[in-house]
Amino acid sequence: MPRKHDDRRTFLKSVGAAATTVGLAGCAGLGGGPERDTFLLGAVTSLSGDLRFGGGVTQRGYDMWADTINREQGGIEIGGDTYEVEVEYADAQSNPSAGADAASQMINAGADALLGPYSSNVTLSVCPIAEQNSMPHITGSAESPQIWQEGYQYSFGTIPTVSIIGNEATSALLNLEPQPESVYVTGVNEPFSEATAVSMRTAAEDAGVTVENYELFPRDTDYTNVVSAAQNADPDLHLHGGHIGSHVDLVSAASQLGYSPDGFLMHYGVNTGSYKDGAGAQAPYTFGATVWIPSVDRSGGVLFDSPQAYADAAEAAYGSAPDYTQAGSTAAGIVYQEALKELNAAPPLSQDDKDELIGILEEIEVNTFYGDVTFEVGGEYHHNNINTQTLLIQLGEDGSPTIVGPEDAATGEPNYPVPAWDER
Amino acid sequence: MVDIGLFTQIVINGLLLGGIYVTIGVGFSLAFGVLEVVDFAVGEYVMVGAFMGAVLAPLFGAEGVFVIPIVLVVFFAVGALIQPLIHHVTTGDRPHPLLMGLVFTFGLATFLRGGVLTVFGPNSQDVPSSLLTGGIAVPGLGTFPVVRTVTAVFGVSGLVVFMYYLYRTRGGMAIRAIAEDRTNARLMGININRYQSIAYGAYAALTGSAGVFIGMTFNASPGMGLQYTAFAFFMVVLAGMGYLPGVIIAGIVLGLTQSFTAVYISGNAVLLVLFAIIYVVLLVSPAGILGKGEWAT
Repeated sequence: MPRKHDDRRTFLKSVGAAATTVGLAGCAGLGGGPERDTFLLGAVTSLSGDLRFGGGVTQRGYDMWADTINREQGGIEIGGDTYEVEVEYADAQSNPSAGADAASQMINAGADALLGPYSSNVTLSVCPIAEQNSMPHITGSAESPQIWQEGYQYSFGTIPTVSIIGNEATSALLNLEPQPESVYVTGVNEPFSEATAVSMRTAAEDAGVTVENYELFPRDTDYTNVVSAAQNADPDLHLHGGHIGSHVDLVSAASQLGYSPDGFLMHYGVNTGSYKDGAGAQAPYTFGATVWIPSVDRSGGVLFDSPQAYADAAEAAYGSAPDYTQAGSTAAGIVYQEALKELNAAPPLSQDDKDELIGILEEIEVNTFYGDVTFEVGGEYHHNNINTQTLLIQLGEDGSPTIVGPEDAATGEPNYPVPAWDER
Repeated sequence: MVDIGLFTQIVINGLLLGGIYVTIGVGFSLAFGVLEVVDFAVGEYVMVGAFMGAVLAPLFGAEGVFVIPIVLVVFFAVGALIQPLIHHVTTGDRPHPLLMGLVFTFGLATFLRGGVLTVFGPNSQDVPSSLLTGGIAVPGLGTFPVVRTVTAVFGVSGLVVFMYYLYRTRGGMAIRAIAEDRTNARLMGININRYQSIAYGAYAALTGSAGVFIGMTFNASPGMGLQYTAFAFFMVVLAGMGYLPGVIIAGIVLGLTQSFTAVYISGNAVLLVLFAIIYVVLLVSPAGILGKGEWAT
C-alpha cells in the first residue's frame, strides 16, 4: 500500500506539471482560450448612470456594425471561412473605476479585443487596463487629448481629439462675416469639457480675437450666474465646452436673462434629439461642432454605401437619427473587421495574434461611410484618427442641422448673427 | 472694482434661486415637523412633477403653468395614499422608526427614478411655456427672469398659505398638536391618521408642483432629484428642523451663497462654501439659523 505522502507528492507533481504546461503555452502564445467559432468583442460602455444616453448611442453604433456584418456577410472571412461577430457588453456605470472593472471583466471573459466606452473620463481608466493586459482596444467615442498623450500601445480611437474638433469648429465660426472681435469661453469642469473649452480659447487667441473670460464650473451649477457674468462682459460670441445637459441649461438661462451674443457654439451634441428635446424653443440657431452628419458628402466604402445609407439603416433599426458618436463607434467595428481580415487568424486570438493586430491597426487605411480612418503613430495624438474633417453646423428653425463651415464643406449659409431671443 | 450692474444681477439671481428652493423646503420642513419623516423621496417628487409637466403641457397648448392644478390634485392624492404606509413602518413595535422611514422613502425614491427612466429613457425633456418666457428688465437694477420670479412667488405663497392653515384653522391646530405630542393629540380626539395624510398630501402636492416650475426653469431630467434632496436637507437644517418660517431665510442664504460664490470666487467652490455654512450653523446654533427649530441631533 503506497504511503500517504507519496500520493501527495505525486499529486503535487502532476498539478505542477500541468500548471507549467499551461503557463508556458500561454507565454508562447499558444491558444487564446476556449475554442469558439465567433470573434468575441468585449464592449465597455455606460448602460446606467449619468452617461447612459451617450453609452446607449455607443452601444447602438457597435451593434449596427455587428448586426450588419453578420447579416450581410455572415461575419468576417478568414481563410475561406466566415466567423460571426459577437459583441458582449459590460456596464461602466458612468464611472471610471466601474469602467476599469468592466474592461477586466471582458478580458477575463476571453474577449479577442475591446470596443471602448463613451466619455473620456471612463476611457482614461480603461486604457491602462487594456495596456496591462496587452489587449487591443478601439474606442468610438472619446475625445480628450489626454488619452492619446499617454502614448498607449494597445488603445486606438476613431473620433479626432476635441483639441482638433473644438479648435477647427471655432476657427470656422470666427471666419464668418461680420468677424467677431471678442468671445467668452465657458466649460464644465471635467476632462473632455475642459479640453474642449481650452481648444476654443486657443482658436480664438490664434485668430487674434479677444477672450473676455475663460471659466470652468461644475455641471450642476446655476447657469444664471454664468450668464450674468458673461452678459456683463458683452462678448460677440459665447463658446461652451460640455455635454448636452449643460448646453440646455446654458441656453435656458440665457433666454431667461435676455443674453444674446451673435451666436452660441456648443460641443458636444447640439444635433441630437436629446439637446433638441431639452432645449425646446431655445435650440434653433445654436452652432455646434461635429465630424459627421448624415448629409455630409463622403464616399461610402466598407459595409455602408454612404453616410445617408448608414443613417437610414440606423433610423430603421432604432427609430432615431444617428450622431457622430454612433457613426464613430460603428467605424471602430469596421476597422476591426478589416484588420482581422488582414490578420487572417481564426478566433479565438492568441496573444501573438493580438500583438500582430496592433501592428496592422497602426498601418491600416479604411475607407468608411464615416470617413477615411488611419491612426497617428507617435506624437501627441498617438493612435488617434485625426483625419476626419471637422464640421461647423447650425440648427435651423425646425431643428435640422446644416453644415455652415468650413467653406469647402458647407452645404448652406449660416444664420449669423443669430436673432435675439425676443425676435425669434 | 465691483461692477454694480453685475452685483445687483447676482443679488436678483440669488434671491430668485432661493425662491425656487423655498418651494421645496416648505413641504419638506412640514413633513418633518408633523410626521417626523426625513423624506429621501423629496427630490424624486420634484422630478416626477417636472416630467408630468413635460407630458401634460402639450395637451394644454404647450403651457406648463396650466398643468399645475392637475399636479396639485394628483400629488395630493398620491401623498395621502402613501402616508399610511410611512406611518405603518415608522410606528408600532419596530425598532429605529426614523431609520425605517429613511429606508422606506429611499426605496420610494429609487422606484420613482427607475420608473421614469424606464418610461422616458435618460434624455432631458423640455417643459414648454410661452407665458413664462424671457425676463423683465428693470433699468438700473437688472433682469428678472419671469419663470424664476413666478416660481419664487409660488414658493413664498405656498409658505404663507401653510402658515395660515397651521396657525389660523382648526385643522392646522390639530396638525400642530400632533407635531407637539402624538399621544396627547390622540387623547384629545384628533384623528391622527387623517391629519397626517392631509399634511403629507399637501407636502407632496407642493413639491410636485414645484417640480413643474423647476422643469419650466431648467428642464425635466431623470437624474435631477438627488440635487434637490440634498438642497432640501440643507434648508431644513439651516432653517431649524421643522421650523417653517426659517425656510425663507434658509432659501435666501442658499441662493445668495450660490450666486456670489459662483461669480466672485469660483463655481467649483459653491458646495464647499455651502457645507462650511452648514457646519458652522450646526456648531453654533443646532436649532437652525434663527434658533427656533428642533435640535439637529
